[in-house]
This record gives sequence, C-alpha cells and structure tokens, in this order.
Amino acid sequence: MVKPRTPTRSKQCVVREAPQILRDLRSLRVCVFHPHDQDGQGLTRQLERIGCQVQAFWPPLPDLPEGVDVVFFALSPDMLSADFTRFHRDDAPPVIAVISYENPTLIEAVLRLGAIATVASPVRSFGLLSVLVLSRDWHNTVKKQQMRIAQLEAKLRGARQVAEAQEILCALHGISKEEAYHVIREQAMQKRVTAEEIARSIINANEILGVKNLRSQVP
Amino acid sequence: MANKDPLKVGALYSRTGVTSAIESSQRLGTLLAIEEINDHGGIDGRELVAIEYDPASDPSQFRHLAERLVAIDNVNVIFGCYMSSTLKAVTPIVEKYNRILFYATLYEGFEFSNNIIYTGAAPNQNSVQLADFMMSMFGGRVYLVGSDYIYPYESNRIMSDLVRQRPGGSIVAQRYVPLNASPKDFEGIVSEIKELRPDFIFSTVVGNATQHFYRAYAEAGLDPKSMPVASLTTSEVEVSQMGAAVAAGHFTAAPYFASIDSAENHRVLNRFRTRFGDETRPNACWEAAYFQVYLFANAMRSAGTDSVPVLMPQILESEFLAPQGRVRVEPNNHHTHLYPRIGRVNSKGDFAIVRASKNAVVPDPYLVTHSLGDWTLALETLKD
Repeated sequence: MVKPRTPTRSKQCVVREAPQILRDLRSLRVCVFHPHDQDGQGLTRQLERIGCQVQAFWPPLPDLPEGVDVVFFALSPDMLSADFTRFHRDDAPPVIAVISYENPTLIEAVLRLGAIATVASPVRSFGLLSVLVLSRDWHNTVKKQQMRIAQLEAKLRGARQVAEAQEILCALHGISKEEAYHVIREQAMQKRVTAEEIARSIINANEILGVKNLRSQVP
Repeated sequence: MANKDPLKVGALYSRTGVTSAIESSQRLGTLLAIEEINDHGGIDGRELVAIEYDPASDPSQFRHLAERLVAIDNVNVIFGCYMSSTLKAVTPIVEKYNRILFYATLYEGFEFSNNIIYTGAAPNQNSVQLADFMMSMFGGRVYLVGSDYIYPYESNRIMSDLVRQRPGGSIVAQRYVPLNASPKDFEGIVSEIKELRPDFIFSTVVGNATQHFYRAYAEAGLDPKSMPVASLTTSEVEVSQMGAAVAAGHFTAAPYFASIDSAENHRVLNRFRTRFGDETRPNACWEAAYFQVYLFANAMRSAGTDSVPVLMPQILESEFLAPQGRVRVEPNNHHTHLYPRIGRVNSKGDFAIVRASKNAVVPDPYLVTHSLGDWTLALETLKD
C-alpha cells in the first residue's frame, strides 16, 4: 500500500466529472423568441457556439415546438400584454426572459411570464452558459419537488383514510386498532390492491351500511 | 491625401514574473512580424509602432496596462496575454472600450468575446490528440501535476474525462504546486510518482517552474522511455531552460514546433535568427504571436482603418500561410483553425514530430465532452 504523502506546498484536489447537465448541452433544444436584430443574433450565435440546437422565431409562436428544453423570451415593452399561458402548463420547459428594463412594470411581467431567470439586454456572451445550466438545474429540482409533494399528499390522504377505516372496523367488530389494521392489510394482500384502496372501500361501504343501520333501528 | 501617420498597436508581454521566458518569446515573435511588415512599407505606407509595457505576469497589472494602452496611448489593437487569468483581466477593458485583443496562447476554452481573436489551441486542438497518443503508446494510468490556477484545473478535467473513456484508464493522483514553485515543491511529487508508477504524467505546470519539475524527475532517476511526461505548455523555451538532457524523451502537443520542415517555417526562422539571434527559442506561442500580427495587418489593408467595426469583419475572413501551415480564423467563434502535432524532445533539445494532423482542426472552444478516437482528429504517424 502506498503511504499518502503531502508534498511541501503542493495541493491535492479531486477532478470531478462534468455533470450530466453539462454533457447534455450539445443535444439541448433551445427555442429563442427574440426579434431578429443584432441582440437576437448575438444570443442565438452564443447558444450555437455552446453547441445547442437553436430555433429562433419572432413574433413568438402561439404554441411551443415539440420537445423544447429551454425557452428564451425577449420581454420587450410591446410584449407586456401578451398571453403567457403556454409557459404555465405542467410540462412547459423553463423560460429565461431577456429584458432591457428593470422597472416594476417589466419585472411584474417577468413574474407573470413565469421566467426562472433573466438575461440583460444587450446580451453578453459571458454568463449565458451559467444561466442556461442553472435554470435547467433549478427547473429539474422544482419538477422533482412537485412530484414528491404530490406523492406525499397522496400518501397523507391515504393514511387519513386508513385511520378512518380502522375506526369503522373497531366500532363494527369490537376489535383493537392494531387488529383492524391487520384486517385491512390482509384484505389488500389477498386482492392485490393497496391498503388505501381497501380503506376507501370500507369507508364507502360504511356509508351505505350506516343507512341500513338507521332503518333497522325503526321500531 | 492618404493617412501616412504611424499606426500604434499595443503589446502586453511580461518580461518579468513567473511566465517571463515564454512571454518574452511571444514578444519577439510579435516584434519580428512588425519589423517585417515595416520593412515592406508598413500598412499602405503607415509604419506599425508597438507601444509596449511589462505587466510582470500579474493579472492586475495586465488590466491596468491594458486600460492605459486604450485610454492614454489610444491604441485600437492589443497583442498579448499568456495565462488565462491575465486574459480574464484584460477582457473587460477591450469590451468596455470596444478594442481588439489578439491572444496567442493555448488555453482551456469556454471563452468568446466579440473583441478577442484567439490564435492559440483550444482543447479540441491539443488535449484530445495528446491523450489519444499517450494512452495508445503508454497506457491509461495517469498522474496529474499542475500549477495552481484555472487552466490546469480545467485541462485536468478534460484529460480525466478522456482517461475514463479508456477501459482501465484511471487518474492515480492529482497535485498542484504554486505558480512560483521552487525545486523543493516537486520533491514529494516525484517520490510519489516513483511509488505509484503511472503509465505517464500529464503536466500542466506552466512558466519558469516547469524546469524544476522535469529536473526533479530526472534527478530521481525516472525514465521517460517507460513513464514520460506529457504536456501542452512545455515548449522549446521551457526545454532550453531545463536543458536537453533533462527534457529528452518527454512529449508535448502543440500546433507548431520549431522543427517543422517546411519552406515557410525555414524562411521565418532564418529571418528571426538573423534579427534576434538566440534571444529566445521559437515555439508554438511565439509562432501564434507572429502570425496573428499578419492576420491583423492583412485585415487592416483590406479595411483601410483600424476602427473596430470595420476591421473585425476583415479579420474574421482572414487566412494566412503561417509557419505551421495555412491558418484561418473561424468567424463563428473567433478561434483559429490549427494543425495539432505531437513532438518528443530529442537529445539536442529539439522536438522530433511523431504525429501530425494533415488538415487544420476546426476550433470548438465550448466542447464539454471530448471523445477519444474521433476520426476527424486522427493524426498521421511520422515516426515512432
């Protein structure tokens, strides 16, 4: 075995592999909505230098082209009242706004657009690569968190239903909470469904059975 | 009447500091081209005059002197910078005042400025070829040693990426020394190399410290035949600093070596020796510093002015028969089409060229993932 040695004044650090998000740049499909002026050309060319697949349109298309990974949107003052709903769909790609003003009117529009980042106009080459990578990374993180939140909500709802079903079984059969849970699990396993689904059936049935019980109480 | 006033250009090459030797060679390459152009009547009768400062290999001095060249000396074009950290310092100045910088040094890529022309190699014009060659000849266990700044970090990332693409390829260790490293700084490194026995060493040690590393390697009795050092920055200048005996057997990848056997190279070398003698050793950075003055001068003739908006489009269409071959500026990214070569130092301290690209390679400065075995980058074997 080699003894680790620290040579005088020399420094060790680890070369890290470029993350996938950087490796993906060459296959990235970028949609640019920017007037075809010098600034727009500068933006498109730098994206091409980075190696992205760039499509540029002006005026902005009513619908995004298929399979776009990132959108640059020139938020010029004449675009302030445009319809941004296509950028708000669940499957919409991240949007980076290109802005030439920074007043509240314009920033309000940036928020309404749902932009994840801004690039200042005139666009400089330097900085575009980091904004592109960070925006995609942040967008992916948000998407993952949204999915996780939806899963957790479903789980919480399920847990509440199982608890309710347990109480119904306890009252009906005079069994303990643990025994009630065991019954639900057994049923779920036999029928190859989730415990939550069994719980829902018990709750539904109980509503109907509850009505019967009322009638049987009539003298 | 035509303007016959002298035309001032700026030159920022360090004559002192950690990269003084290599930058001095770039300075002399620049001055040779300027003198040749003036000997042939200047640019349409206008004499080229270089305004020079010594930025002492220090980024903040580079920045300060670039601003002085622009604001006080009123030059539109600057030639200079070696370390990418000094390029970074000058970039905001040429962008703010809309001037042009010609940068004659290989660097780690990921730069583009409307105000800069890059005439040194991007990583796809030297690193890929070097990795391919070294791994096919010596194997994939690689030791990384470099100076402690951004160029070595990114170069090592690219090298590691290429090493990992080879089955069994691995980085056995990675070490950084200060830019002003002394012989002592390499003692531990060389004994570690002795213990780990890598297939080869990739060195991104730059400047005057380079000689200390190769000397420590030689003094430890290590053998370049079985475990050579491969570099992108160890040029003829660094070889002459360490001496032929120490350097012999080690490898460097570059678009130019003084040993290129072409009529154009012989002509330029003869003129250089007649004028400057043995003041420096011609090398890839010297050659880029030389030919980029011609790219400027020829563009200037077509443009008729050194006003940037008129001059830049002419530069972007330039081609020039340089000592390395016919070079061309790539208008899409302002870098230059160059000819990758691999040289091995012989017993006289010259680079014997063992591989060479027949065609110029298109610069691709924003490439994150380089690939081994890309046939478009294949080099021809000259000798083994």
